[in-house]
Amino acid sequence: MTNALETELKQLIIDTLELEDVTPEDIDPDEPLFVEGLGLDSIDALELGLALQKTYGIKLEADSEETRRHFANLKSLAALVEARRVK
Amino acid sequence: MTTYSDHPQHWARIQESGTVAGMRAMVWIRRRLGRLPFRLALGLVIAYYYISRALPRRASRRYLERIWPLHAGRPLRGAFLLGLRHFMAFGQSLMDKVDAWSGIPLDIRFTPEDRACLDQAIRSGRGGLMLVSHIGNLEICSAMSDTREDFHVTQLMHTRNARKFNQMLDRTTLRRGPEIIEVSEITPATAMRLAERINAGGFVVIAADRVPVSEDGRVCHLDFLGAPAPFPEGPFWLAALLRCPVYTLSCLREGESHYIEFRPFDDTTHLRRAERDTWREDAMQRYVEWLTDQCRRYPLQWFNFFPFWLTDDRHDG
Repeated sequence: MTNALETELKQLIIDTLELEDVTPEDIDPDEPLFVEGLGLDSIDALELGLALQKTYGIKLEADSEETRRHFANLKSLAALVEARRVK
Repeated sequence: MTTYSDHPQHWARIQESGTVAGMRAMVWIRRRLGRLPFRLALGLVIAYYYISRALPRRASRRYLERIWPLHAGRPLRGAFLLGLRHFMAFGQSLMDKVDAWSGIPLDIRFTPEDRACLDQAIRSGRGGLMLVSHIGNLEICSAMSDTREDFHVTQLMHTRNARKFNQMLDRTTLRRGPEIIEVSEITPATAMRLAERINAGGFVVIAADRVPVSEDGRVCHLDFLGAPAPFPEGPFWLAALLRCPVYTLSCLREGESHYIEFRPFDDTTHLRRAERDTWREDAMQRYVEWLTDQCRRYPLQWFNFFPFWLTDDRHDG
């Protein structure tokens, strides 16, 4: 179920990036994760990518435009995980 | 953060004037006519390049003025000839690449300590990140990965010029070099690919003495040979995020031999998130110290022929 996955991903983001003041409810699935919204930066993106790889075995193509789309908000991230997860 | 994209003399924008055709001709001479005619031809090409190209010549001069007192204990003298030797060393290194990838046996040497260190790194199966610089001849190390079944190298590269050269090598030597991942910026996809290699026990090679081409390149200005110069943060962020052993690697020419230096630099496996910033700053400082020592010992083998320091006159060329 997408909702359960979204909640799981929220927790993963909070744990990976050690966002101490953020609760899962604070993350709006439609809001941008980077720069605006949650205000993550490019290093956070790298770290998040590695966490997704470790947890779900996700692979990404090198195309940075596509990566940007996947990483746009929580919804797109959940779609990515659902489509590509191998674990 | 500084942006170098509007900088006309960013290294990535300076075209290497040797064209692919020219390089292929040189490879042909090396193969068909042998070493001596090749050396003669190379000497002529490099001398022409040295005389006709003011920008790299002056960049080399700025560097030699800084490094020579450290190396020789006295100020630079005979700068014109020394600059020529610097260029010749560069030409030689290009052709060593050709030899390395053509399967022409090279005299590769290790000190017992470096060999033990490399053996141990490979045997541990943990892979790692190897910080390198534009000193000496890395392709020789890469060529080693051809000869050792258990040594897998992935090279992260920013440059288009290098790709041109490597394509030429592929075509003329019919041998594949190490895996090369070419990026203009380090994206999550890049990091994930590198993590995959390291998890499989492979080694990722990344140069940390050139700032990236991309606009949002994170850059740190550090004192190098007496003046501030930009160094990229990216390799150190990667080192911190990939949580793996980190090494320094170089291959330096001494006479006709190539010495491989491979040393442990750090291990980020247990690096805590909160300590990462401090670690990166410290690691960059230590990298610059390592680079300074390499340049001091082998001053003519550092190949960055563009205005490297902030204080260099950008319109010097």
